[in-house]
Amino acid sequence: MGRQTNESLGYGCAYTPLVMLRAAGYDPYRVLPLTDSHDQAGLHLHDNLCPHVKKILDRAMGNDLPVLAGMIFMNSCDAMRRLPDAWRKVREGDRTVLVDLPVIADESAVRFFAGELRRLAGVLGEWSGSPVSDDRVKECIQEHNRLADTLSGLASKVNAGAYKGGRNTLQKAYAVAATKPLPEAIRYAEDVLSSGLKEKLSGSLPAVFLFGNILPDTEAFALFEASGARIVDEDLCTGSRLIQPVRIEDGEDLYTGLSRAILGRISCARTFNHARPGEIAQTVVERARACDAKGVIFHTAKFCDPYLARLPSIRETLRKEGIPILVLEGDCTTRSIGQHRTRIEAFIEMLG
Amino acid sequence: MLINYFDDLEKGIVSSINDQGGKASPRKLYSLEIARLGKRLYSGSNKVAWCGVTAPFDLLHAMGLTSCFVEFIGAMLASTGMAGSIIEESDHAGYSSDACSYHRAIMGAAMKDLMPAPEILVGTTVPCSGGLAVIENLARHFDKPLFILHIPQGDSDSDVAYLASQMKDLTGFVTEHTGIALDRGRLKAVIEKTNEARGIVNEIFDLAKHCPSPANSKDLNNFLITMALFLGSDESVSLARAYREEFAQRLSENRSGVHDEKVRLLWIQNRIQFKNPLVDTLEKEYRAVIVSDELNSITWGPIDPDDPFEGLARRAISIPFNGVTQRRIDHLKQLARNYKIQGAINPCNWGCRQGTGTRGLVEAGLREVGVPVLNLEVDCVDERKFTEGQFRTRIEAFMEMIQTRPNPWQQH
Repeated sequence: MGRQTNESLGYGCAYTPLVMLRAAGYDPYRVLPLTDSHDQAGLHLHDNLCPHVKKILDRAMGNDLPVLAGMIFMNSCDAMRRLPDAWRKVREGDRTVLVDLPVIADESAVRFFAGELRRLAGVLGEWSGSPVSDDRVKECIQEHNRLADTLSGLASKVNAGAYKGGRNTLQKAYAVAATKPLPEAIRYAEDVLSSGLKEKLSGSLPAVFLFGNILPDTEAFALFEASGARIVDEDLCTGSRLIQPVRIEDGEDLYTGLSRAILGRISCARTFNHARPGEIAQTVVERARACDAKGVIFHTAKFCDPYLARLPSIRETLRKEGIPILVLEGDCTTRSIGQHRTRIEAFIEMLG
Repeated sequence: MLINYFDDLEKGIVSSINDQGGKASPRKLYSLEIARLGKRLYSGSNKVAWCGVTAPFDLLHAMGLTSCFVEFIGAMLASTGMAGSIIEESDHAGYSSDACSYHRAIMGAAMKDLMPAPEILVGTTVPCSGGLAVIENLARHFDKPLFILHIPQGDSDSDVAYLASQMKDLTGFVTEHTGIALDRGRLKAVIEKTNEARGIVNEIFDLAKHCPSPANSKDLNNFLITMALFLGSDESVSLARAYREEFAQRLSENRSGVHDEKVRLLWIQNRIQFKNPLVDTLEKEYRAVIVSDELNSITWGPIDPDDPFEGLARRAISIPFNGVTQRRIDHLKQLARNYKIQGAINPCNWGCRQGTGTRGLVEAGLREVGVPVLNLEVDCVDERKFTEGQFRTRIEAFMEMIQTRPNPWQQH
């Protein structure tokens, strides 16, 4: 067992290698874009930058953060690349590191990212005062996978069961997994899985597949449910993509395997298969078909180029497959979802 | 349609040069090379590679490909006044109006069959996520093979080796999909020309630093970013020489680019690509000259012709838009010192998360060396959004402020 610092490290992107933060003795804390802080990020970042990133910066500027021993940034997109620049400006004393992240997952990229993970291990070792050992990383992968598997089981139950409040219960479990120490997150998810879901939704509601990026607020899911949408599966970076299992082949170098697992996971639009350009559109169709969805709701944070640029091809592919899509853009607040309520209701009515 | 445009453009410029007894300003020669590049892209007889901004165009040139970053099309459509209707096409297809108009114009052009089908596409992760997404979309649209160059954020030896290795792989990719093998002798000759042009361009920029500057605000508009497309060719060397000679001659004759130069400005990021009166307003009403552009700077060293991949990788990594913003700010500060800049204009191209994202930090950084920044809100490609009166008012206020404050580079 490695030394536990009882300190938290902040992060903002689902690609963050959480097992390494834990292996260094830290509790990963996802800085979700949920805050009452004033909108101040515009002082440093342009107004047309992703609201997810700006809200994270608002939290930093408004001191709406727990005590953090440092902040881990991933070079996942333009906005995320600019966040550490601004963070360093508004919190000069903070320890930060930016981890480069390839957009494809070929062997060359896997090797490069493995190097980045080793570099991160070195940084974390310096921060904690204790080297990050391979054995500890392996232990943390096992613990992480226990959480991932429990959340996956919970998601399967919610997806299949149409429980009243099931979707926001699941989202709460994701939020706990993102922000609380691992034992607490596992315990929470296991408790919910064993006893937290009882009452089924009445009536028959049309099944919907939800995909996109940032939608962390449990109230958003309550609103979907209140609007008549029965979400039977989702693909969100604050949802099922957040905690994905790490599987490493026997005999493979630890960091190469970890790199391969992270780059090969169910991806955000920023990562793609260059051998099959536009594959994301087909993936959405397949996910929607797999859960027998009658329609698809796409929710994205405004100004998100990786998703918005791929939206026309996704829309076209869904149209060819006869699957209706509703596109919602928001600013990571429930307020913006609330404004879409009429559209969601109309969409569900059309599906029904 | 566009082949005719470029053909007419070339003929017009050649005719004009002939009328002048073979004499031409370097800017005219620059336009001639643009026209000829357009012809090569649209002729249907060349193998074309559509690329990201940081692709190694000289390497692709050495392999016989006509390569070009896709944003060239957006800029070209804007300069011809065609961008608006073409952007509408992409809007109708569902591309977000919050996205970069260079990229919206590109997708519109592709949908209207105004972009030639390439043999291959080469996406680059720098400068922006939006540009990379457009390359992926184009690969899907044309159903052509796509290669991705991941430009690392850092410049450690392992970062450079990683990118150099990808560039070597790129040559194999080109061979696989075009049948053209890499000729090392040809590559060596191309890189020698790249180095020669690089050296001359450095001299051009040094000449432009003189006070008053021999350059006017239009001489070096879009210069280096476009020059990158010609690197490795004889024409790039000729063009660079023409600029160097013109600037040297102006200096020897005490001719400044703008008569009675009073204010020296730095333009951040890209210029506004459609016709607009802002530069004329600056020059005529305020004797203000844009003496430097952020992207007009040689940030890389000579490339080893015998083993060029490391040097090509270092060049791609070195562009100011790569890496942390502080690096970009340091570069802008250096330009401010070198060119004795009194004010900077940032168009803040709408939809550009990468270039405009940290505008507040850029503004604060330049303020540290006494250079105020005018942040505009321009769509640099979509003329329909241009509100001349508002921009004129902003420019006037900015220039009045500069005129009433001490020049940060004059000793008191």
